[in-house]
Amino acid sequence: MIPQGGDNMNGQFLDTLWLEERKRVNLMKQPVRGILSGVLAFAFFMCLWWIFMDPRGWLRWYTPQYGYMYIRWLLIVAIWQVYIFNFWPFKHEWMERSHPLKKGIILTLINFAVTGLLIWVFYYSIFGSLSIPYFSWPELKKTGLSDFFSREYSSLAILMMAAIASWLSPIWPVAFENYPWHGMKQPAKGMTVFMVTFLLTTYVYFICMHPHYRVLFYPWQEYTAAFPWWYKTFHTLSGNFNVGWIMCGTVAVWLSEMILERYPFRLIKTQPWRGIGGFAFILLLAAILFFLFVFMQDVVWGVSVEGAKRLMAPDWRYLHTGELAILLLGVAMILYFYFDNWPRKYSTEVNILIRVAITIVGAVILHWAYYKASPGLLGTQAGYSHPQQFPMAPVILFINVMLYHNWFMDGWPGKRIEQK
Amino acid sequence: MEEKNISRRSFVKGMALGTVAGYFASAGLSSTVFKKALLPKEKLNQVDIGEMKSLKVKVVSETSWYDNNVWLNDVKKSGGLLVNQYEIPWTVEGVKSGYQGSNLGGFSTYIEATLMDDKVIKIHMDTGWNPAWMEKRFREEGVAEKLAKKEIDFMVQTHEHIDHFFGIEATTKFYPDIPIYVPKGFYQEGFDLLKGKSFPKGNVKNDYPHKGKVTVLDSRKVNVLYPGIALMTFDVPIILRVFGEQSFVFNVKDKGLVLVTGCCHQGVISYMEAVRQKVKGGEKIYAVQGGLHISPFEDWDPQYDDLILAFNKYGVQKIGANHCTGYITAEKMIKAGLPMVRGTARHMSKRDIYLGNGDELAIA
Repeated sequence: MIPQGGDNMNGQFLDTLWLEERKRVNLMKQPVRGILSGVLAFAFFMCLWWIFMDPRGWLRWYTPQYGYMYIRWLLIVAIWQVYIFNFWPFKHEWMERSHPLKKGIILTLINFAVTGLLIWVFYYSIFGSLSIPYFSWPELKKTGLSDFFSREYSSLAILMMAAIASWLSPIWPVAFENYPWHGMKQPAKGMTVFMVTFLLTTYVYFICMHPHYRVLFYPWQEYTAAFPWWYKTFHTLSGNFNVGWIMCGTVAVWLSEMILERYPFRLIKTQPWRGIGGFAFILLLAAILFFLFVFMQDVVWGVSVEGAKRLMAPDWRYLHTGELAILLLGVAMILYFYFDNWPRKYSTEVNILIRVAITIVGAVILHWAYYKASPGLLGTQAGYSHPQQFPMAPVILFINVMLYHNWFMDGWPGKRIEQK
Repeated sequence: MEEKNISRRSFVKGMALGTVAGYFASAGLSSTVFKKALLPKEKLNQVDIGEMKSLKVKVVSETSWYDNNVWLNDVKKSGGLLVNQYEIPWTVEGVKSGYQGSNLGGFSTYIEATLMDDKVIKIHMDTGWNPAWMEKRFREEGVAEKLAKKEIDFMVQTHEHIDHFFGIEATTKFYPDIPIYVPKGFYQEGFDLLKGKSFPKGNVKNDYPHKGKVTVLDSRKVNVLYPGIALMTFDVPIILRVFGEQSFVFNVKDKGLVLVTGCCHQGVISYMEAVRQKVKGGEKIYAVQGGLHISPFEDWDPQYDDLILAFNKYGVQKIGANHCTGYITAEKMIKAGLPMVRGTARHMSKRDIYLGNGDELAIA
């Protein structure tokens, strides 16, 4: 995706995506194109939110974990479709010739269908049914838990897997350029990267989230999961500590890919060193975001208190680092997708500095606007810290819509693939 | 644009420099030096609320509903924990374990606070949910008679939740002009219900409109009502689209502070911390009574264990928990060595593991 961002790096990477190769023409001028595209995406997001999520709307899946789970998986499936499988099984000629609306509908429906299959078949019927019950709503219910909490608990576990995958899956194509499998063809390449990243995701899940489930059930499940290893240092048994830094990691990957143009690790000339450098950079950026956001909250609300709830709860503070990070990403994506990653005319370093400044200012504005408008607009509850409310859910759904629009529909009607 | 050609050595140097700069620019802020310089200093702004002689807190009803699964299914069918409570069709018939087939019960506490001059202040805290159940309990505990004779000084509505507020007509039937304190955050539906409006979708009505004074208290200050009796309001968003809760602080001579709550959605540790910062003597909390909102649906979250593990540090001598504290929490608290006051499991309270309907906590 780098070419859209500025420097034309084509040919320099070991592996490129169709997204990087597609040539698009602008059908409107800026800023009309950016504003109109953003408004269209937001309108589509509002429709989806009303149909599926809004507590006043139609299906009301934002219970909250149940709907939030779908939102998370829609994101990771989109990443698989585009970054791992490079749109396979669709031929790139078809991608170039088809009308963006037709492509958008087909690819979005596939995105929805794969998400549904994963949750209902892989998690509920296979993984949860045959291995760990907390991955399956029906299985948990059989143990005597209430229907409602069976669904909420299993949704949390499933969405956590997606959160980790959304951090680790794109690292391979972004940092390692699919090395050492860059030379393979689809779907073998996609399957290989998918298997490797999913394996890593599973490892990270069992280290970072499975201990949460030791404590979630009563009595503690001491024979099946380790004690939360982060407790003594971070003063909470909750896996929200890991959710926070992992979300910062996810945001770090996409900030690197978009407004940072894979800088500075792209300056390393050879793989796997570039990948290792990239991974280290992403980890470092994630740590910086995480500790910075924790610190900012300490300054604003005072240092958190062990055992406290709401604003003062350590686990909520960690979760909120992820929420703050995702607001940053939302703004960065708007800048990248709808305003051509402006600016692009200065040196890479200056371009990046200006974009980072815009993203920070935009995130502050979005933060204010979200908490001001969300009760009326999204049917959520007023206030910052609500135990059943996750700003990440609507923001990630909006991000999903931007991905559908730009990855699946080429940004139409603002842009379109150049017709030969 | 031309890409710079840099050596691996230069890159490593650059990365190292960037890392150090990045650390000091952000992550390093969390180091002790930066924390001391930048974090706000704790400001104790303790209000002297005065002293009182003794306190009796009676659980009129802590059984808000009778079948957790029925309640949770009502919520699930309506769209989860963020849906407006006035629009959920709550189950009022066909529940075997319920009261006369209804799943609805309610929460209410009766308080007698004896001041230093021996004057007794009588307080009606919350009015429950199912009017039939609440009227029965009010009669059984003598609250109905006191309401009818206007012997009760005022009513405190801790928050707007169904099980604490929807049974308002059980109170106004006996004492229509009782003065009421509500926390800031009450919705218009709440004020309308007080005035007699019904909400058929949520199976709630009020045939006895309230005619007395309603005072809205906010979180800006500790509201001292009488010497030794204060209310603190918390701006907390709560499930089912409710906002704001207020809880009592009593200062009993020679004992210390006693905190009495409805549901304590602000969190009991957060509450004790707020009391420590804002009320004189807040370092010594003698007792906590009421719902602690930890596992009301017998659900669990590791955060609740954080709370139980931290509770012991506060040196509370009596915990008269009930209601939304949850039985799992009570078992864990007892196991953690916390001084839980046991109940008698009467009047449809299911277990004696904490205070139940008709049980009293006396501090003198």
